[in-house]
Amino acid sequence: MSAPKRYGLAAEFEDAGQLVEAARAVHDAGYRRFDAYSPYPIQELDKIIPAWTVSVLPSIVFGAGVAGAFIGFYMQYFIAVNVYPTNIGGRPLNSWPMFTVITFEMAVLFAVSALFFTSLYFNGFPILYHPLFRVPGFNRVMQDGFFLCIEARDGNFHPTHTARFLSSLEPLRVWEVDSE
Amino acid sequence: MRVDELQRESARPLSPGERGQPPLVTAGVTFKSVTEQVCKAVLQPEVPFFWFTAFLFAVTALCVFVVAIAILLDVGVGTLGNNIPVAWAFPIANYVWWIEIAVGGSLLSSILRVCRQNWRNSINRLAEAVTLSGISCAGVFPLLHLGRAWISYWTLPYPNTMTIQPNFRSPLIWDVFGIFTYAMASVLFWYFDMIPDLATLRDRARTRPAYVIYGILALGWRGSSQQWRMQEKAGRLFAGILTPLVFTVHTVVAFDFAISLVPGWHSTIFPPYFVMGAILAGISMVSMMAIRIRSAFNLQNVITERHLNNLAKLILTVTVLLCYVYVIEPFTAWYGGDPYEMYTVHNRATGPFAWTYWAFVALGLGVPSLLWWKRNRTDTRFFVIALLTVVGMWEERYMLMVTSLGRDFLPSSWANFAATAQDNALLYGSIGLFLTMFTLLVRMLPMVALYEVKELLPYSRPGGGSVK
Repeated sequence: MSAPKRYGLAAEFEDAGQLVEAARAVHDAGYRRFDAYSPYPIQELDKIIPAWTVSVLPSIVFGAGVAGAFIGFYMQYFIAVNVYPTNIGGRPLNSWPMFTVITFEMAVLFAVSALFFTSLYFNGFPILYHPLFRVPGFNRVMQDGFFLCIEARDGNFHPTHTARFLSSLEPLRVWEVDSE
Repeated sequence: MRVDELQRESARPLSPGERGQPPLVTAGVTFKSVTEQVCKAVLQPEVPFFWFTAFLFAVTALCVFVVAIAILLDVGVGTLGNNIPVAWAFPIANYVWWIEIAVGGSLLSSILRVCRQNWRNSINRLAEAVTLSGISCAGVFPLLHLGRAWISYWTLPYPNTMTIQPNFRSPLIWDVFGIFTYAMASVLFWYFDMIPDLATLRDRARTRPAYVIYGILALGWRGSSQQWRMQEKAGRLFAGILTPLVFTVHTVVAFDFAISLVPGWHSTIFPPYFVMGAILAGISMVSMMAIRIRSAFNLQNVITERHLNNLAKLILTVTVLLCYVYVIEPFTAWYGGDPYEMYTVHNRATGPFAWTYWAFVALGLGVPSLLWWKRNRTDTRFFVIALLTVVGMWEERYMLMVTSLGRDFLPSSWANFAATAQDNALLYGSIGLFLTMFTLLVRMLPMVALYEVKELLPYSRPGGGSVK
């Protein structure tokens, strides 16, 4: 049996401050394929670890909202004018002011659905197994664990050099993470 | 603390309400302690006695609800007290009341998030649970009120062999879309917001079934900074979208009334007036639940006096606004000069249903005003005040139905309304549905948003030190 494929190197840190400093050092050393793991969002990491998906999200949601508004309005127009026209006090069939409420509701429905599914998709969900789950102590990440993982697919990754570099950042522990 | 840490701490901008206030989380709370405290309530195999009693009460009432619905569907709407002219009575009053309670929960979870009121973090999840349970109850009543609930899907536009379609000019159809969108958005937001906490439960699960179930629900959350950023961004967008939705959903409910010509309903003040009532009823319900939960699960360290104080202030604000509406309503009736409007106002205060009007004034406006006195904000007193306020808000909805419909333009068609046992059973039963859902949500899912509470801890920021 061949050696298992390497996913990356993970290190645990003492607290949020050390994690942020370590992430900054890792970034300065030229690594790009790495991520920090913490029990709550840490804003300071946002500048260090880029996530392009976050900036795309609002446009997608807005687009879905606009699409929902068009579909919502056209549904009402089509039914009220073409499919089932009713004469109510001689008013025009396309009585658009009365259609605004459902147009709004449909816009919101589309926007919220797009927001939900797109953000889950961008987060890579659902993924029921991940190599990091095998790191001992990683089940504390949502309690009080602060982890950092440099992934093997990074161009600068080297099994021994990267491990030595990570150890120099004064972590509590460093682990090799296999991807299977 | 080092000097630079102190400087960083003092440079952190305080929100205006934060100065001179007690902390949102009491001293001694650590990442570990709060995680254990909240997860224990969900993962412990023993059933707490107080929870079991509440659940038993709730399920008993739910059984009454099921039987009452079965009788209603089997025999027909004749078992209700509704008749012409009072065709909207208990079912619609219940519906509006439950929607109000749901809307109040959404106020805390989305509107206060948009306003960056971070004190709501630890009661956010509770408020969302109130919203979900409230919408479930609200959704039942319009269907039952239709009479033939099994063909309620006729309200939706779909190609059919009868070649008929809904009339989109009717506020009742707006309501179908409004409630559906609101329910969908609330459920998606609630679940999305909870994914990190579900992952916490997954990591702490001691039994295989719990591990598998929470593992699937957590979708593979790892707490990476990219996931957190997506969570934050999407959460803000959710809150931003839900904020106008929360106002419109109750505005559309108000349109059901305001767009009719019935005296006492046909008024432009109705939408804001309904929204204020909703906030009053909803925040009162959330306060009741927060008070019960914090003493039952010993959460006084995360749901603190300050939370109760802030909830009390919100209640007082909307009470004042609602008082204004009740002053301006007779004024517009008098100033408008319409005799039917003026009669409605007169009839509400002195007619056969005057007791509902005065019950509302006493319970819905008077009782919450007791919160002006700080000594009334203790657990027990606040709970009783909130309970009576919620009851008062129901009286108000009931009063709006029966006084306007029973006394319209033509005196020969006037009639009074008398509730039947079926009406009362449905109201009582819907409380059972609400409490059953709420108790189950509290028992099976984390009732406090852990990651949001952890963000409030002083050492959560880099440089804040370690507390392992």
